Formats: sequence, C-alpha cells, structure tokens
Amino acid sequence: MPEDEHTVPAKLVAQDVAIAYGDHRIVADLDLLLPERRFTALIGPNGSGKSTILRSLAGLKAPSPGSILLDGRSIETLSTREMARRVGVLLQGPVAPDGLTVRDLVQHGRYPHRSLFGRWSEGDQSACDEALMLTGMTTLADATLETLSGGQRQRAWIAMTLAQHGDVLLLDEPTTYLDLAHQIELMNLITILVRDHGKTVVAVLHDLNQAARYADHIVLLKGGKIRAAGPPYDVISQEAIAEVFGVRSLVIRDPVAGTPLCIPL
Amino acid sequence: MTRWCIFLVMVLAGLTVASLALGDVALSWRDLWKTLIGAQDADPQNAMILYDLRLPRVLLAVLVGAALAVAGTITLAIMRNPLAEPGVLGINSGAAAAVMAVIVLLQDPPMLLLPAAGFLGAAAMAAAVYLLSWRGGTSSLRIILIGIGLGSLASAATTFLSAFGEIGDVQRAMIWLAGSVYDADLVKVRFLLAWLIVPLALAWMATRELDLIRFGDETAKSFGQPVDRVRGFMIVLCTLISGAAVAAAGLIGFVGLVAPHVAGRLVGPAHARILPVAALCGAILVVAADLVGRLIIAPIQLPAGIVTGLIGAPFFASLLWKRHHARG
Repeated sequence: MPEDEHTVPAKLVAQDVAIAYGDHRIVADLDLLLPERRFTALIGPNGSGKSTILRSLAGLKAPSPGSILLDGRSIETLSTREMARRVGVLLQGPVAPDGLTVRDLVQHGRYPHRSLFGRWSEGDQSACDEALMLTGMTTLADATLETLSGGQRQRAWIAMTLAQHGDVLLLDEPTTYLDLAHQIELMNLITILVRDHGKTVVAVLHDLNQAARYADHIVLLKGGKIRAAGPPYDVISQEAIAEVFGVRSLVIRDPVAGTPLCIPL
Repeated sequence: MTRWCIFLVMVLAGLTVASLALGDVALSWRDLWKTLIGAQDADPQNAMILYDLRLPRVLLAVLVGAALAVAGTITLAIMRNPLAEPGVLGINSGAAAAVMAVIVLLQDPPMLLLPAAGFLGAAAMAAAVYLLSWRGGTSSLRIILIGIGLGSLASAATTFLSAFGEIGDVQRAMIWLAGSVYDADLVKVRFLLAWLIVPLALAWMATRELDLIRFGDETAKSFGQPVDRVRGFMIVLCTLISGAAVAAAGLIGFVGLVAPHVAGRLVGPAHARILPVAALCGAILVVAADLVGRLIIAPIQLPAGIVTGLIGAPFFASLLWKRHHARG
C-alpha cells in the first residue's frame, strides 16, 4: 500500500510524551504521529512500551510531561465520556461477568452516547446491529460469552468497541491467543474498518510479518523510543530487526502480498 | 425475571403472614383475618399483638433485609470481588465501635442515641476507608485492604472498651450489636423507610453504571465512565443504605453477601434485574431468620443476626468451594 506520509493528516499525535509508573519511567521524549484512516501497528520487543503508549493514547494513563492530541486538540480537555465517543479501546484480556450475552455486551458500548435517564434509542439499536453485522456476530448475539471460542469472544469485544461509534480504534494485542484462521479474520476485519468505514486503527501486534502484511503504517519501538516509523518497507529492514530484537534475519518480499517478510536466521 | 419476582413476593408474603400469626400467642387464621380487616368482634388484645408487636417487626425485617441486599449488590459490583460485602467498607466495625463507645462511656445514654451513633460510626469509617485508599484515584483492591485494616483497628477498640466497661453496659451493647429487629415500632419503620427511599431510588436508576463498572476500571473508563466519581457516589449510597440498616437493627451479617449472589444466579448479570430480586431475597432472609429465631427455642428469642450467620457461614463455604473447583 503506497503512502505519502505528508498528504495524510495525523489523527492522533503524541507530543514530547514521557510516561512513568511511579519512579519507573517507561517512555521518554516520544513524538508520535498516527495517520488518519490508516491502520498503524505498534511493534517492538517486550517492555518496549507499546501497551503503555496505547494506554496513554486512550487517555487511560496520563503522560507527564507531554500531551496527546486528537484531531489537534489535547485529550486532557475532553471528558471521559466525550473521549469514549471518539476513541474505542480494547485492552488485553478483558473480563465480563458470567451469563452476559454478546448482545448485552455490545449494548454496553452505547454507554457514552446515553444520558443517565436516556432511553434506548433507534440510533443505539442500529449501531449495535451494525457492530454485530460487521464482526459477523449477528447469529451469535444471544449466546453467552463463556460459551464462545476465543476468536468469537474477541470479535464480540470488538463489536462492543464498534458500537461506541468512535472513529479511532485502539487495540492491544488483539490477535494474541487466537489461532491462525481467527487472526487472519481479525486482520481482514481491521482492513475493512479502515478502508470502507474510515476508521483509524492502532494496534499493538507481536507478529512482525502480520504487521508488515496488514498495516499501512508501522511504528517500531525499543526501550520506549521510536526506532523507525513509516510504511512497512521503510521500517522493516535487516538492520532494524537486528538492532531492536537482537535477531539476525533475512527480509524478503512476501511473494503473495508484496510486503516485507522477515525470516529469522 | 417476572416469574422469579412473583415467586419471591409470594414467599415473602407467606413468611409475613406466618410471622404475624406465629409466636408466644399463636393467632388462628380467622383471628388474624378479623384483626387485619378490623372486624367488630375482633379481640383487642390480638390487635395489640398484631399492630404494636408483630407487624412493625416484620416490616422492619423486610426493610432491613432489602437494604442490606441492595448495599451488598452495590459493593459487589464496585469492588468486583465475590467476597466483598458492605462490611468491607468498614460499615459494620465502625458502627460497632461507636455504639460500644456510647454505651460504655456515657452514663445511661438515651436509646435514640444508639442508632445515631451506629450510623455515624459507619459513615465515618466508610469515609476514612475511601479517603485513605485514595491515591490519585481509587482501586478496589486498595479499598478492600484498607477496609480490612481499619476494620480490625475498630474491632480492637470495641474489644478494648468491652474489656474495661461495666459488665451490664457491655451486655447491653452486645445485645444491640447482635442484630435483631425485636424492638421495632412503627415510628422506627416509618423513619427507616423515609430514610431509605431516596438512596434506593438512586441505586435503582444507576443500574447501568453498576453494569459497566464491573468490567474493571480501565475498560469502564474506556467506555466513558468516570470511574472514580461513580465509585465514590456508590460508596456514599452504600453507606446511607447499610448504615441505616445497621443503625436500625444492629449487625445482621451475610445478607449483604448472600442475597446478591443468589439473585445473580436466578436472573443473570444485569443489575436492573439483580437489584429488585436481591432486595426480595434479602427481605425473605431476614424475615425468615427472625421468624426462626423467635420460634426455634421459644420463649427465648434468638437474634436474627445469629440465625443469618448460621445460614450464611455454610453458604460462604460453598461459594469458596465452587470457586476453587471452577478453577480446577
């Protein structure tokens, strides 16, 4: 997917961001641009700060110092509710109470659009129906979550974030624990969301080749700093992989997708 | 859901009638009916037994049970811990310490001071637990740990006071704390109802918040819920509700723990369903406990709090057992 970075406006921006838990600093001096209507993958070794950065972009962990801008406006000035209307987040291993059905779960996604006494509206209903349809969960809507497979459950949670109707979707390792078929299914769903529904998707991914194949934009992180950012071919190189992961590899052209393919030596 | 509600209301009605009819002086169905409809040839003594003794008592039991169950449901949701009940917020130990202090330290305190002291002790403890666990935000685990810590501190104070107080005073305090609805009257019932109506209505309107906060702080936040504010508000509601129940009836344990779990098992995870069903279960539990306590070794009356403890302990154990086995 060819892309000229200068023509794509940034949807989310991290400006001079540092993030610490207590005295333990995880990210420092981070400047990050996430292009609008594109699928960005955050990759890097364990402890490189990927998930922390995602949390910060989601407004769940305030940077100090630094700020996160959404459409050019600091998210600190947005209320929790307003933020949730614009940005959907799926964290790792979310837990739902026993007995909850897929439909119940997805309906909770409408929370930021409803006032305290607001009734369930037609808009809410159509948003839920659409979210179920996009994720292919319509026929499973009345199943309880604990009866679903891992892949179905993950799709149910994604449907919940889609029902939020934000134009940004932040996903923390959405493919972990999924088998190959479900991983591909999820990547295809993300592609559809970006291409046909104008969403900006940012996902933390562990699989380099998956990121290279499906993402429009890759941010390669090491030790809380950006090592490289840009389209897959600019980012995935033998030198970068060696430096960031400490793994010698051969990067070739994927014979199917034409994207870079990294083969460890 | 509707079926369960109808069933539970019928059980509660049956227990209520039994509570009105049974006791040291058993009333026949006919006498009970006559007195209730105010028939001309009704025995005035029966009217006295019914309206001054048994009716207020059963009404108080219903209110206290429902209040404890609702407070328990709220605590369970905001703490996300299956063993959390309002006592975790320090409400019970705070009330116990305050009542013990008033009875032991004051000479002949007026009876009205006891519920007031109980409520204030409960509220002060809940506030202390919440404030001490605040560190740029709250976390349910921190609240639970600090609640346990402050709770044992308050229990130590209670024990200290009882060790050095007059034996008669201490006995009075222990009876008050044992958790009973024996000294009910209609004034108390009306006061409790008036007190509870607003917080119970607010809890009922906030069921969607309870549904969401149960997903965990970060998930709830990412769906737009101001988690800290909601939790603070819920703790205030919980204190108002269970603090008042404790002030009215002393410490009746396990209802706040058992009722929400039973309700969850009956009608699923949505709080719009759990809350009313839990309230009914709580009312049934306390009315039944009071009835059993009155009859089982009559004429001696066993406080309802002791009976609920007897029911609650095995339930607690089975809860642990099931969780243990669910994990494999």
